[in-house]
Amino acid sequence: MEQSEVMERVVKILTPWAKNPDALESVGMDTNILEDLKVNSARLVDVVIAFEDDFDIEIADEDVDTVNTVGDAVRLILSKKG
Amino acid sequence: MSDVPVALVTGGATGIGAACCCRLAGEGFAVAVHYRSSGEKAEKLAAGLDGAFVLRADLAVPEEIDALIVQLKERAGRVDVLVNNAGANVNAPMLAMKIGDYDAVAQLARGTWYLTKLVLRRFMLRRGRGRIINLSSVVGHTGNPGQIPYTMAKAGLDAFTKSLAQELAGRDILVNSVAPGLIDTDMSAELPDEVRDRILERVPQGRMGSPDEVADVVAFLATRASYVNGSVLHVNGGMYGG
Repeated sequence: MEQSEVMERVVKILTPWAKNPDALESVGMDTNILEDLKVNSARLVDVVIAFEDDFDIEIADEDVDTVNTVGDAVRLILSKKG
Repeated sequence: MSDVPVALVTGGATGIGAACCCRLAGEGFAVAVHYRSSGEKAEKLAAGLDGAFVLRADLAVPEEIDALIVQLKERAGRVDVLVNNAGANVNAPMLAMKIGDYDAVAQLARGTWYLTKLVLRRFMLRRGRGRIINLSSVVGHTGNPGQIPYTMAKAGLDAFTKSLAQELAGRDILVNSVAPGLIDTDMSAELPDEVRDRILERVPQGRMGSPDEVADVVAFLATRASYVNGSVLHVNGGMYGG
């Protein structure tokens, strides 16, 4: 799976949860999910579940702790997909 | 994944837990009967309930809870109702208790928290709905001499109910407690006669409750109760109203 495809799907999943549409327009690998996109931290688990369902992977709690930016999510998903 | 809704009942082999298993099976759930040491009773109970199956785990051990979740995924693929019934108790005055007695009760409480987290994470949040029912106790509200760790754990369980209901705001996942009073089970049979008689003097209905009377309330919360959330329902014959 190409990084660009994962990135596109990650952004699509994040879109309904992002409270800052301006940040979405310029989203990149360094965009912070909580601070820039303003995703509610209480809803982060829903985002993670959406990643699991969309990419057919399982993400452990320890892995979730490593995800701060969109790029972190993309790299984690790519590592799970092998 | 099964089309049949699944209810997981911890400590489901005996007493109130077993009554909950029977009642929920009657409501159409495939019941996962959890046990730690009562394997024979759990197997016998499950054999008599349509779609029921047994799961063993020591809830004081997080790795065993992890394994239980894996088994649930393989066997059922879903959990619609979680009944946190399993509990641990040590009867002794505080000054006669050892720290290990406290730990035995506290570790079970920690296990309830961890199991609930995993059931939410792996099943209920994905489906966007669920019912969590925590079996607490009247003594978590009134206190009871000789049961300090138990009363602490049960009071904490009701606080857990209220906090989690608020954390899950905006979802169709409802969290409630059922707080039984003196119920006719193996656990109450361990009480010294004078303690049991003293408690019964405070029960306006003048008798112990039955496990089925508690299970009825659990079944209501699991099925028909759609606007009860973060609440403690007392089932105690009138000895305490909250």
